[in-house]
Amino acid sequence: MRRSRGGTAVLTTAAVLAALAVFLPVWWVFVSSTRPGNSYVDHMTPLSWLAFVPVGGDLTNYSGLLSGPFLTGLFNSFLVAGLTIALGLAIAVPAAYALATIDFPGRGAVFTFIVLVAMIPFDAIAIPLSGLFQDWNLSDSYAGLVLPALANGFAIFVLRQFFLGIPAELLEAAEVDGLGRLATLWRIVLPLSKPALIGAGMMLFLSQWQAYLWPLLIGTSPERQLAPIALANLSTLFTVDLGQILAGSFVLTIIPMVLLLFFQKQYTESLSTTGLKG
Amino acid sequence: MYRATATRRKARSTLVAVAMLSPALIALVLMRVVPMISAVSQSFRHVSLATGASEFDGLANYTYLLTDPGFHSVLVVTLVFNLVLNPAIVVLSTALALITAQRLPLVGLWRSMIFVPAAVPGAVVALIWSTALQPDGLVNALLAVVGLPPQPFLTSASQAAFSIGIMVTWGALGYWMIFVIAGLKDIPDALYEAAAIDGAGWWRRLFSITLPLLKRPMAFVLIACTVGSFLLFAPVQILTKGGPNGSTNLIMFDIYNRTYLLGDVGVGQAEVVILMLLLAVIVAVQFRLLREDRS
Repeated sequence: MRRSRGGTAVLTTAAVLAALAVFLPVWWVFVSSTRPGNSYVDHMTPLSWLAFVPVGGDLTNYSGLLSGPFLTGLFNSFLVAGLTIALGLAIAVPAAYALATIDFPGRGAVFTFIVLVAMIPFDAIAIPLSGLFQDWNLSDSYAGLVLPALANGFAIFVLRQFFLGIPAELLEAAEVDGLGRLATLWRIVLPLSKPALIGAGMMLFLSQWQAYLWPLLIGTSPERQLAPIALANLSTLFTVDLGQILAGSFVLTIIPMVLLLFFQKQYTESLSTTGLKG
Repeated sequence: MYRATATRRKARSTLVAVAMLSPALIALVLMRVVPMISAVSQSFRHVSLATGASEFDGLANYTYLLTDPGFHSVLVVTLVFNLVLNPAIVVLSTALALITAQRLPLVGLWRSMIFVPAAVPGAVVALIWSTALQPDGLVNALLAVVGLPPQPFLTSASQAAFSIGIMVTWGALGYWMIFVIAGLKDIPDALYEAAAIDGAGWWRRLFSITLPLLKRPMAFVLIACTVGSFLLFAPVQILTKGGPNGSTNLIMFDIYNRTYLLGDVGVGQAEVVILMLLLAVIVAVQFRLLREDRS
């Protein structure tokens, strides 16, 4: 769209203001987390520039977190998210590859089933599922925390869309060269599929990193709590400094933020695939 | 001879496909379909708190819920909350998409800054905003700068749901914006060029080309966002526990409350089933309306 110079100025101003307004709370959390204890409040009434400029602070809130249940939670969150990415891709990649490249009877029905089941919102069935996990002796275990996230129909969907775009001649050539189906997938297709693997991996990671209800129901003992649960529990103690809660919030925010910094393109492209075709 | 090999090959590749698909299908069935069936079957049963024995109870859980004034108020709170929240998110994320899909200086940076909250876990969004909404928090400090009196926010029955709406909107905007931007990129440039030749101004192009062609992504955002908002749980559980005065008692928290804190499993599962039916109806209606509009 062609615009006048004035139009560009107005739109740029709007974009900058919107970005600053949305980003301001995150920035404020960071600056406040560097004020020891609850002393960030001193810069609030009246509001001073020190509320937004991280000078003269220290990291006591962060070191305070290191000695508490939050550190265990953070370790668990990384472990559970890492297992979810690795096992989730190990399940989704072959499924997507079979759907995209093998012509077998009932392929359409299987695909429809996967799409329909993917649309069942997980949180709605989390409470009945947690009852079943109790019967299956999976409560309060790492397996219990990881398993539901492995059933990710959207990851299959995204990978399938990508595999469909790989030219059939390439796969046939590999077959003529005597490569089996799995060898073709491993040596030819996967190296070409990095964007889709990253996109699906990010989806799996974020589904786990953002979870709250499920880990609340399943990771019940302190040794198996995930970081958001540990932090939320900490916030209900009257003895805790809000500065520490802000520090923990910032840690849980900066980790996905850094990943998105590197992988935003692949992740948003995968997201749009699920949106537009779905 | 040739035919036989072909059949054998076909059978072989079907076998390979089954092997490759079965882990995913087993996971989907066990983790999604089975709990749904279990919710339905449990909703017709009564579990005795004393003995733990479960017996068939017909529609008792449903009649109990549907005649409970507490549940009526949960439904009203949930529906009103959604009726306000979801259109607001669709409008705002579309506006942000329209701005940040343009060619502007540093636009990638502005877009990323708007997207950042989408990466923040819902529980952390709740913790950040509960701190910002404290009497001596960021929001009241900003209100004071423009000369407004401090507000109670989460501790007031009239402002708590609104405060939760604000934090959810903040956490969701950038995420939904991505889908609208993807829709914008699908609109052929030729349409705009033709409109420019016809002398159509920016607003004219917005209302006769952009918005009509955005109907599909916007419908998707509305539907997906509605499903997400109906399942809102973390801010209620962490910040308000449904209060003050039940003003934030959204349906997911009520289900959690009945199942775990009151120990009424059968009634909780009946409420899960009602929630799923409600969502199915709402999604179907939205789908229908937005679809008819297109033709």
